[in-house]
Amino acid sequence: MAKMLDTYVNDLRESRLWRSVFRSGTGATNLHRALAVQQNIFLHLFSVKMRRAALNFSVTWYLGTLSLATFLILVATGIPLMLYYHPSVPQAYADMKDLQFVVSAGVFLRNLHRWSAHAMVLLVFAHMFKVFYRGAYRPPREFNWVIGVVLLIITLFLSYTGYLLPWDQLAYWAITVGSNIMSAVPALGKKIRFLMLGGNTVNANALLRFYVLHCVILPLAAILFIGIHFWRIRKDGGLYTGEAKSHE
Amino acid sequence: MDLRRKVAAAWAFLFGDSARAFGTLSLVLVACLAVVPAKDHFREWSRYQTRYLRLIRQRGDAATLQRRFQPGLQQTWLPELGVVDRCTTCHVAMKETSLADVSTQPFRPHPAIPHSLNEFGCVMCHRGQGAATTVEEAHSSTKAWEQPVLPARYFEASCGQCHQNSLTGTPQLNLGRKLLARYGCVSCHALRTAGAARMMPTNEPPPLTHVARKTTREWIYAWLKNPQAYSVSATMPDFKLSDADARDISAFLIDQSTPYQQPDASKSSSAAADAQEGASVYGESFCASCHAVQNAAGLMVGGDVGPELTRIGSKVKPEWLGTWLREPKLYAPHTAMPRYRFSEKQLGLLAGFLEAKTDSDLLANVHLDAATKEQIAHGKALVNERGCASCHELNGIKKPDNFAPDLSVAGSRSLAKIVFAPGVPHTLPDYLAAKIRQPSAFGSALKMPQYNLTPVQVDALVTGLLAQTERAEAIPAVLRVAGTPVLKYDPAGKAGKLMQDMQCFSCHAINGRGGDMAPDLTWEGSAVQRAWLLTFLKNPNTLRPALIRRMPRFNLTDAEAQTLTDYILTAYQTPAFDADSLDSASFTAEDRERGRQLFYSKYACQSCHIVDAQNDKGYVGPTLTEIGAKGTPAWTFHYLKNPQLLRPGNIEPNQSMSDADARALTAFLMAQKKAPAQEAAKK
Repeated sequence: MAKMLDTYVNDLRESRLWRSVFRSGTGATNLHRALAVQQNIFLHLFSVKMRRAALNFSVTWYLGTLSLATFLILVATGIPLMLYYHPSVPQAYADMKDLQFVVSAGVFLRNLHRWSAHAMVLLVFAHMFKVFYRGAYRPPREFNWVIGVVLLIITLFLSYTGYLLPWDQLAYWAITVGSNIMSAVPALGKKIRFLMLGGNTVNANALLRFYVLHCVILPLAAILFIGIHFWRIRKDGGLYTGEAKSHE
Repeated sequence: MDLRRKVAAAWAFLFGDSARAFGTLSLVLVACLAVVPAKDHFREWSRYQTRYLRLIRQRGDAATLQRRFQPGLQQTWLPELGVVDRCTTCHVAMKETSLADVSTQPFRPHPAIPHSLNEFGCVMCHRGQGAATTVEEAHSSTKAWEQPVLPARYFEASCGQCHQNSLTGTPQLNLGRKLLARYGCVSCHALRTAGAARMMPTNEPPPLTHVARKTTREWIYAWLKNPQAYSVSATMPDFKLSDADARDISAFLIDQSTPYQQPDASKSSSAAADAQEGASVYGESFCASCHAVQNAAGLMVGGDVGPELTRIGSKVKPEWLGTWLREPKLYAPHTAMPRYRFSEKQLGLLAGFLEAKTDSDLLANVHLDAATKEQIAHGKALVNERGCASCHELNGIKKPDNFAPDLSVAGSRSLAKIVFAPGVPHTLPDYLAAKIRQPSAFGSALKMPQYNLTPVQVDALVTGLLAQTERAEAIPAVLRVAGTPVLKYDPAGKAGKLMQDMQCFSCHAINGRGGDMAPDLTWEGSAVQRAWLLTFLKNPNTLRPALIRRMPRFNLTDAEAQTLTDYILTAYQTPAFDADSLDSASFTAEDRERGRQLFYSKYACQSCHIVDAQNDKGYVGPTLTEIGAKGTPAWTFHYLKNPQLLRPGNIEPNQSMSDADARALTAFLMAQKKAPAQEAAKK
């Protein structure tokens, strides 16, 4: 049975259609494997070869991958949520109610988005602690650490901007308090707050701004920096597996 | 042993290598995700729809009901009202009148109402969360929705969101609104109904600028300590003042009082102490139409336009009373009290009668020393702090603006912003009721005084306040039914001055201004004959013997009565018909006989009216024995045709009379008067 399955899979991979998409072809040689990685737009960010040790759970606890996974879940649930949501003052909260009461699996979508967002913040922090305590931020990886810090900030901003969108009391006051904190910045405080809210109080403009930031600007920035982050892993010599081994 | 091996084998099968583990976990995940569509399918409302289908299956009209039933989510969407109501998803039988016997919710059909359910949705009236599709969320106050369904006892509040006028179907709301104005709530609190001006108080609190002339400091002290001890029906609330505070306020009130122009003391008649005759002046003048007196049984007898007079003798000074009865406007320019033009004798008798109405207990325990400067200053501070000037006019203190919180949207107040007193259930109606019942329970620093209200009045006030919602503000103007506007109609000239003098508007309405105690006079000029009106004004008797309230006699001079008659006959003509269109001379005896038959048989008018004083027993409507001397033929004819056209809201039934019938009846009625010979003989 297993053998039969293998033949089918092999036949499929030899087919013209398959080959037109995955050009590296089959074969168990190092070249084929290297090509498979190198010729794939997603995988080519990674190095073609890596140490087996880097795959050990204890090295990374898979925290970076899990952060990426939550990010992907957030994108995947966020897009359908956008279909039901209007960033307007009279409609925003009513849309929450629609999601809760009439949209099929609406509650599931919202909850998945919300819990993934919490998980992502948690995982990103955990990832940074792991990197920090293992010393993986040291040269030659110091630039990637900086990218990581930028990604942490983007994550937090995504979380914060998403908080306003339900337009309930919690959201309203959280953003009011947050933007007031912002205005405590010396000299520029009031201007930053005005820029952030598109006015002096949390209202329609603030909602629209936060919506655009949450759904367009910040996700695009996150994708860009995630790309750089992964590419730099490869350029900086793969995952950091430990003091002794990295000197080999 | 065997079991352990089996478990080990199963484990190896499921998680033996990474591929198997991956597959197993994937299957578990898919199973978990299957919960989502399952939950979607078995929603709470679908259970109710199934139950409904089971319910109608056993009924006779099952097929019809079945055909009209629409499965799935139902929704009333009214964008211009901001209504998204899904209540009909469970309340499926709203319009099925054949299910009237069904008592289990959510299947009860909606009782008949003047509005279409599709036009207004549900939450406009019922409140609650229209968008919700679960029982809990839709009806109660939850974490994400504050406003629960409105309890039935305050339900009339919902009508008040659009209807600013008073409706016959909403007595509680009407009472509530009346009380808000009557008890001076709106003197301190601003209260605007959507699109309308601020509600004005109707209690007419007396000005206190010359109060020292009217009463004594001792009386003021006793009144402040407990207004209801002096007058059970007083609208003045209890401010719960300490003895010292009441002493200081009374000191200040006497101190700020200024003299006013009083006629010579020599002119004021000494009070004649003939109780019998005094009482008859009181009765003849129909003082009781406006003023009440508590009788021995403790019941109030009389009207509530003016203050209660049970203990008036313990309050007012005799020289003030004389001036007041003679010229009320000297003391209070805006008073509703008419100038009666009493003769000196009447004046003396009436004053004597009123001064005898004392209560020795009232001031028995009040002993006040002369006021010190500090007490007066403290009294002034207290008057400012308690907002006395919100209601009363005072020398040297301006009426404070917005003394108390605005109540224009009190019915939409967010529970999150309310501090509840201990023991008060966390709902808005309960909060409002508790606050009105006993304001001091919410903290001793609150300035709101203690009112002495019955539970019915409290419920009415809560209903009135619950009608003040944000939704009412947002309702499209086209849906709003405006309240009766307070018109500033002021008749001009000599007659106008007379009418103001006699305070006609306290009882009669003309052109939309005035009271409802007596008939509307807007078209009186078309309705009555000159001779009758002239006699009536000189000596008003009544057409309705069953009524206690009657028009008092104002002792008009011939010239005054003439002026007033001329004015009424000229100015108050209806445009609905020509006054001369029908002439009594054209009626024949035959017409009259036909009219008589119609009166007694076809229309059975004698059930409410009296034409033959000996035999008829109708006491509901006015007696018509002299209608021929009073009414004009044209008015009578058109009034018979459509009573409500000429007097809106009249209870006279509209019989859809033919012209011929109305004409015959008019002929009959116009003949109802004393024979001229009899009249002459009487004179």
